[in-house]
Amino acid sequence: MSADTILEAQGLTMRFLGLVAVNQVSFALARGEILGLIGPNGAGKTTLISLISGTLLPVAGELLFEGRSINGLPPHARAHLGIGRTFQVMKPFPRLSVLENVTVGALFGFGGGEHNRSKAREQARALLDFTGLQHRVDQHADELGGPDRKRLELAKALAMKPKLLLLDEVMAGLTHAEIDEVVEIIKKIRDSGITILVIEHVMRAIRSLSDRIVVLHHGEMIAEGMPDAVLADPRVIEAYLGKRRA
Amino acid sequence: MLFAQILVNGVMLGGLYGLMALGMALVWGVLNIVNLAHGAFVMLGGYCVYFLFTGLHLDPFAALPIAMVVMFVVGYLLQRYLLNLIIRSSHLNTLLITFGLDVVLTYLAQLAFSADFRAINPTYAGSNVTLLGVTIPLVRFGAFLTALVLAAALWVMLERTRLGHSIRATSQNLIAARLYGVDPAQLYAVTFGLGAALAGAAGGLYGMVSQVTPYIGATLTAKSFVITIMGGLDNPFGIILGGLFIGIAEALAAIYIGPTFTDAISFGLLVLILVARPARSLRGA
Amino acid sequence: MKGRVALLGLCAVLLALLPLTGDDVLIQYGIDALLFATLAQAWNIIGGFAGYASFGNSSFYGLGTYGTAIAMAQLHLPFWVGLCLGAFLAVVCAVLIGLPILRLRGHYFAIATLGLSATLSAIIANLDISGRNIGLILPLTRNDTMFYELALVLLVAATGTVAWIARSRFGMGLIAIRENEDAAQVMGVNTTLYKVTALVLSAFFTALAGGIHAYWITFIDPASAFDLTLNVRMVIMAMFGGPGTVLGPVIGSFILTFVYQLLASSISTAAALLFGIVIVLAVIFMPRGLWDLAGGLRRLGPRYFLQNIRAHRL
Repeated sequence: MSADTILEAQGLTMRFLGLVAVNQVSFALARGEILGLIGPNGAGKTTLISLISGTLLPVAGELLFEGRSINGLPPHARAHLGIGRTFQVMKPFPRLSVLENVTVGALFGFGGGEHNRSKAREQARALLDFTGLQHRVDQHADELGGPDRKRLELAKALAMKPKLLLLDEVMAGLTHAEIDEVVEIIKKIRDSGITILVIEHVMRAIRSLSDRIVVLHHGEMIAEGMPDAVLADPRVIEAYLGKRRA
Repeated sequence: MLFAQILVNGVMLGGLYGLMALGMALVWGVLNIVNLAHGAFVMLGGYCVYFLFTGLHLDPFAALPIAMVVMFVVGYLLQRYLLNLIIRSSHLNTLLITFGLDVVLTYLAQLAFSADFRAINPTYAGSNVTLLGVTIPLVRFGAFLTALVLAAALWVMLERTRLGHSIRATSQNLIAARLYGVDPAQLYAVTFGLGAALAGAAGGLYGMVSQVTPYIGATLTAKSFVITIMGGLDNPFGIILGGLFIGIAEALAAIYIGPTFTDAISFGLLVLILVARPARSLRGA
Repeated sequence: MKGRVALLGLCAVLLALLPLTGDDVLIQYGIDALLFATLAQAWNIIGGFAGYASFGNSSFYGLGTYGTAIAMAQLHLPFWVGLCLGAFLAVVCAVLIGLPILRLRGHYFAIATLGLSATLSAIIANLDISGRNIGLILPLTRNDTMFYELALVLLVAATGTVAWIARSRFGMGLIAIRENEDAAQVMGVNTTLYKVTALVLSAFFTALAGGIHAYWITFIDPASAFDLTLNVRMVIMAMFGGPGTVLGPVIGSFILTFVYQLLASSISTAAALLFGIVIVLAVIFMPRGLWDLAGGLRRLGPRYFLQNIRAHRL
């Protein structure tokens, strides 16, 4: 393992009631890169993210974060180490304001977060500017529309000051213009030194964002490499389109 | 032989408990409401049968269907025009409002019917059947059979009828059910009415094997709850089995352990079951 | 903010001066109201902030009661040692019970805690040191003013703690758990530690209130010490005033205690009936309590009620 590997997965396996969701998946993430994680529905992408963030525990395999095993760590401890995630099915704190939602991230994230509530609130405010939610600061989270909820998910995760950010379909349901906007935001996040693992169905976005791509199919890793090469791989096309049309 | 006799007594009572808990489980599973007024519905059903029996001299078993219809209407109206107003509120609020309802029904019953003990005693109340040396009071046996028949009827209704399918679909996924043309407010009210009707039937039977007062509701609610947890929300047979289990456990505990520790044991068991059950089966979490 | 604190301080001083009236009945009502407000406020920590509807607080109350009673009646120790013993028992119980039970959510947590007081009550009723079924008699002290001032100090301490929680990182963590526990966890909130701490704080104040009540009333038995309806009243008072707010539970319990006393002095059945009706109406028209109602009425007027119903009906 090279010195600037931030996360390494070795033989990660997850089963639900005997059904294999993730099977023997191994990969490494280099510090500062954007890794795209793609695959058809039910391929095990979200499960993989949940294994990394600690909300699920693998039945086999090893996870190393900055060279140290995090297998036994609960989710909050992984958050303190610098692993942040968004949820595909968004999980805002419904009856808190947008600002308070993001403040929670600042108060608790990396290293235990900023313990002073007013300082944390200022950090949150800055992130709302960054993600384009400055005009929604005082609204309740459950009053937001779809695109703004996606932005809120992103702002909450960023407020944790993660070293590694796991993005689960933050662009689903957005318009072309909104997608371009989010792509720019994600690039800016990477430029600030954060490593990113991104699950996405929007191919245009994944192609322009990712340094590398990993493809999951039925819980197995079927391809890994540069975006153009991977997306041209016959196995990947077959996985997406089915055997007959490949 | 004493043991067999106790066992049979427990089973007879347990069938009634199971029927009572079925009503709670139905409402809980579909509406996601734990109805703390469920025992009060049982109590009202008991009074209903009692007054049909003493006032109109109806046979108590013949009065059961009437009591069920009355309780269905009561339940339907309460859900449609009262509980429906807060159905999407927090679970604590739904607990609180049904608790308030329980208080109201209990004290209304006290004002209307007084606190006297009422027992439903038809002419055949003293008759027994003797089977293999075990004596079974006829009324208890009838109550047990009725409970089983009603439970089976509920099962057939859920599995085979259009209404049953709508109810089951709604308990799985409200939004999807709506897409298939189910009117949720109507369906919720019907389901709540069915739950109340089952409670009413259980109450009539309870009046025959025991006594009805305005205050029997709270412990019966607690029992229904324990049985529902044990049996699982989606399994009518599990709930009947749970009822039998509690009935037998009560009969045995009263004889062999003494009354002081029975509550502690049953609640201790309940906590153990709750904590030990796998998380995925805990709906409403 | 400063003005509000000053106003509250003034209220506390006025309350502290109430025994000067010399009206015994008023002072006794006062002790009752202050202890109930403390119980509602203590419940508010676990129920209002962390969102865990505890029906186990009556067990903490019972432990506080019995801790004090055993220390004074059986071991002949001073009152304050008894209070400490009661609080210690309740805190230990909160940790031991909290670890497994706080894994449950929603109805299941509520019901699991419901079983706790029945279980403890049965255990206490079978122990010699706690006087079995019969109960214990504490040494008699006729000094209602002292009990009144003690209860007031306890209420101020509990409310001060809640005020701190409402402004602290800890409190934000509890609120995050209430709003969405899964999200709170991946955002770095140590949910287990926070929930158990909230339960411990709640148990601590509840037990102290139980201890003061035991010494005041001088006679306790398992049925009254572990009375579940007491827990229901805590919940109703906190919910009525406004769960998750600093002053809501206190105001709510003052009002409800007053109403209850007023009704109870007439016919008891009618009182209970009206109490039930008040609960039903309160849940429908102000599901978030008086505190929210006050703000909502200022913003929306009567439309506030309609909006609540519209938001929660199907």
